[in-house]
Amino acid sequence: MAGYLSHQQKVLRLYKKSLRHIESWCIFRDKYRFYACLLRQRFDEGREEKDMVKATMMLKAGEEEFWTNQHPQPYIFPDSPGGTSYERYECYKVPEWLLEHWHPSEKNQYPDYFSKRETWKKLREQSWDKEVAQLQAETPPGGPLTEALPPARQEGHLPPLWWHEVTRPRERPT
Amino acid sequence: MPPMALIYTSSLLLMLTILIYPLIMLLFCNPQEKNWAPLHVKMAVKTAFLISTVPLSLFLNSGMQTTTSSWTWMVTTTLDVTLGFKFDYYSIMFIPIALYVTWSILEFAMWYMHSDPNINRFFIYLLVFLVAMLILVTANNFFQLFIGWEGVGIMSFLLIGWWYGRTDANTAALQAVIYNRVGDIGLILSMAWMTANISSWDIQQAFILTKNLDMTLPLLGLILAATGKSAQFGLHPWLPAAMEGPTPVSALLHSSTMVVAGIFLLIRLSPLMENNQTALTLCLCLGALTTLFTATCALTQNDIKKIIAFSTSSQLGLMMVTIGLNQPQLAFLHICTHAFFKAMLFLCSGSVIHSLNDEQDIRKMGGLHHLTPVTSSCLTIGSLALTGTPFLAGFFSKDAILEALNTSHLNAWALTLTLIATSFTAIYSLRVIYFVTMGIPRFSSLTPINENNSAVINPLKRLAWGSILGGMLLILNTDLNKTPILTMPTELKLMALTVSIMGLLTAFELAKMTSKQMKMLPLKLPHHFTTTLGFFPSIFHRISPQLSLLMGYHITTRTVDQTWMEKIGPQMLSNTMTQISSSSNDIQQGLIKTYLILFLLTLILVVMVLTI
Repeated sequence: MAGYLSHQQKVLRLYKKSLRHIESWCIFRDKYRFYACLLRQRFDEGREEKDMVKATMMLKAGEEEFWTNQHPQPYIFPDSPGGTSYERYECYKVPEWLLEHWHPSEKNQYPDYFSKRETWKKLREQSWDKEVAQLQAETPPGGPLTEALPPARQEGHLPPLWWHEVTRPRERPT
Repeated sequence: MPPMALIYTSSLLLMLTILIYPLIMLLFCNPQEKNWAPLHVKMAVKTAFLISTVPLSLFLNSGMQTTTSSWTWMVTTTLDVTLGFKFDYYSIMFIPIALYVTWSILEFAMWYMHSDPNINRFFIYLLVFLVAMLILVTANNFFQLFIGWEGVGIMSFLLIGWWYGRTDANTAALQAVIYNRVGDIGLILSMAWMTANISSWDIQQAFILTKNLDMTLPLLGLILAATGKSAQFGLHPWLPAAMEGPTPVSALLHSSTMVVAGIFLLIRLSPLMENNQTALTLCLCLGALTTLFTATCALTQNDIKKIIAFSTSSQLGLMMVTIGLNQPQLAFLHICTHAFFKAMLFLCSGSVIHSLNDEQDIRKMGGLHHLTPVTSSCLTIGSLALTGTPFLAGFFSKDAILEALNTSHLNAWALTLTLIATSFTAIYSLRVIYFVTMGIPRFSSLTPINENNSAVINPLKRLAWGSILGGMLLILNTDLNKTPILTMPTELKLMALTVSIMGLLTAFELAKMTSKQMKMLPLKLPHHFTTTLGFFPSIFHRISPQLSLLMGYHITTRTVDQTWMEKIGPQMLSNTMTQISSSSNDIQQGLIKTYLILFLLTLILVVMVLTI
């Protein structure tokens, strides 16, 4: 997949961010709904345009209008990047390898968990070579195109790099 | 020591011991209970507050003040530094108020931070901050004051960056430390001046020995220190950025106690400033500029905590104006009343934020009057006290300040700015109340919002009582040093009230207009000016690091590398030698045989001359 956006994607992104900025300007929902309907009407008028040059010029004009009319402090959801509680709990996310460094007296407080953990670690050792082989076979020569990992392809195999996914810290540790 | 003075020092010692007791428990006993700190720290602060009422009642009864100098720290030929505590009107009145507010905030923090795994460390940090603040307030010499000063600065850094996984929190903590450091330059300058000129760091001795000296330089240093610590214009951006910390931190440090340390310093040292017109005018103009600028920035903010932070900055500007009017007692009165209602405003905002699952934008609040009636009532009371509603806490201090400003024959420009800022205060206060408590909710109605926790209600109620009665109690028990001017035209007397009411009415009309189908966008330039905080952070936070980095780059590459390599060192040698050799190269024509014959001929000539 190339790193370019299609015309449809650009138009939809412009529409969504315009709606979000209208929501930032119009605090009350009925006023927002009025201006959102007006915006939808404006987008629908140019929807059936077949001339790509004209459509691109309309998109460019739309982006410029968005830039001049954007809200200087748009509403950002608290957990989104730039929000007030984004990454707030990163400091409580402890990596799982620290469990290896627990004192034996502490490990003995959770015997079931640590015995299960030993089983999982053996499983990880067994499947590691197969995961690496699958990734080497499936990665294109120029390097991976996306961050998405492929699923397991054969019976009895585990998905590549499953350990990091399974042992990742919780979204909200506390 | 006389028995009454003994009671003062004993009660302070007892207070400090009770406050330090949880720290000692942590260091030596290492308690095993999971949440031991909240309960112990809260009990320690509550007990310390009750003990602090003993010196308070003694002072109110007999007006006795004490200055104690005990253990000698350092004795040199020119400088003596001792451990000194000053129990004058300012520290005796401030300590109980600070402890009362801290007690309420700690109780609130038990609810707010209850899901935090490091809650013990949080409470210990708040306690260390409180101890540093008490050291600052009771210090009788500059050295002890500096210890407290730096202590509150460091704890501010640690507490703003509490959620250190967040980039913005780390940036904000660094901002606070760097801006405070710039202010510390001023304080250290004054201390150095004191050492050089009067050989003493004692405040009493400073008052006496500087009577005939020109105090402009140390006073400028102290004003710089106050500008840094109390977020005056020029060194103000750290205060809104400090809202990255948890709400109890904002309530304690960045509204009631730490930010008033700069103003408190100027109040303590006001006898030095009385006769220096330059310093007074600087305070007046700086304060007026600060109060208007930050009130303007607060008008269009959408984050509830930022609005209250700018409101704090505006009130600090007002305190600076009061110091510029040569009325330190009124400034102190405003510090005390401001502590009550500002802490309460922050606790109300914390209650709202926590109920709405960390939502801080006022555009997504609304209708909270029905869901959280106590919080919204306290928000209203706090805002009314802030705007100076007659006979609430803020009225006695704010109105007195504005009357003094109106009847003084000083800067009319400062007066105009302060009055405009007073009306802006009313505007943004009404904006907060309108969008937070009135109307219908603009958030998802699925979360069950309630106020059924006494850890929320009791602190709010306590601070509400303080906001209502605090001003009256303080003014009844204060003997003003400077005679207030009581006769003035009726228009001037009612000016503050008129301006606030006009602000409230304008704000109400504007707020109602936001719900109508009128034009969506405001005037761009003024709106952008206020939303981007006057473009100050955008300009200065980019220019000064860029200049420093550019200077660093030029020093390393041009001054160091280029100089040593090319101008002085090997390359210079090689260039010089190349130039010399290329210029003297033309002399030699390559005629070897001619040179040899000439050499031979001259040799024969020399031999012939020598033998003859």
